[in-house]
Amino acid sequence: MKIVFTPEWFLGTDVMIELFSFIILFLFFIFSYKSYKITKNKKSLYLGWGFLLIAIAEIATILTKVVLYYDMSFTRHIGEMILTYNVVKSVDFFYELGFFLHKFFTLLGLYFIYRLPMKEKSSSDALLIVFFLLISSLVSTTIYYLFHVTSLILLSLIFIEYYGVYKKNKSKNTKMFLIAIGLLAFSSILFIMSSLAAVYVSGQFIQLIAYIVLLVLIIGILNSSKELKKH
Amino acid sequence: MERKRSRADIISDMLLMIQQKGGKIKPTHLMYKANLSHKQMKLYLDELEKSKLIIKSSVEEANGKKSKENSKEKNVIEITKKGRDLLIKYNQMREFEKTFGL
Repeated sequence: MKIVFTPEWFLGTDVMIELFSFIILFLFFIFSYKSYKITKNKKSLYLGWGFLLIAIAEIATILTKVVLYYDMSFTRHIGEMILTYNVVKSVDFFYELGFFLHKFFTLLGLYFIYRLPMKEKSSSDALLIVFFLLISSLVSTTIYYLFHVTSLILLSLIFIEYYGVYKKNKSKNTKMFLIAIGLLAFSSILFIMSSLAAVYVSGQFIQLIAYIVLLVLIIGILNSSKELKKH
Repeated sequence: MERKRSRADIISDMLLMIQQKGGKIKPTHLMYKANLSHKQMKLYLDELEKSKLIIKSSVEEANGKKSKENSKEKNVIEITKKGRDLLIKYNQMREFEKTFGL
């Protein structure tokens, strides 16, 4: 079974895209936390948790890929040991754990963001959903596209929930968030067909554009006090 | 129905009123503009002053065309740089919350 779908010429670039995504997600976490500190609105804190979980997911995949792509000593060491069954098993376990954490934290973070605008929240339902997300992440180690299908469902639900928010506030920043979510959903569709190298790379670029849109959104929020700064 | 203003909302409203008046405002104007009772305003002003977000000062106000001797001392509330910075941050956070419908 293939561990990653990245074509050889794209190795490293995917890590850079993921690093950029991590920075944006972490910025959103800082923003949410600061907002909570100032306004004491707990919802801001929960939103921050959502972004932080996805940021942790990005770090998990970055670290796993860095070891996989660049840690030659690790690979050479394994080669020299004449690849006993146990060594191969432990290496597989490392990669599987890294990618499993990426999948589980991504899905959990998306679920946090999805649940936030909902008025009625049942904790028993949430527990059940988290269990299914865990199962989905575990099964995805063998059926890779299950993770992308689950992401696509969650992203579509987030889009619908926040479209409701947009209909109420008509804010251009919410619209920007919807565009980013739409692009991420589209990248998930492409990732379902990751076995085709060109489609996988396109998915990565769409994801990059989505995170650039989120960066523009942060800049937009920061500039929202322009008038006050002039005084 | 409008939601009840939080403590942070009231503080930011007060700072905004001062800022919109060019950085200085008379206490009575602030009280009406921020829609507060005298007691509430006193409490908030003490808190804002303690946190160095505003300073209370007095300015000489000329009484019509009369000489300097007739000028009166008036109390004014002035926003500080720290107060202005907090107002900007608060506005950004409010925009952030609006974006996500929080």
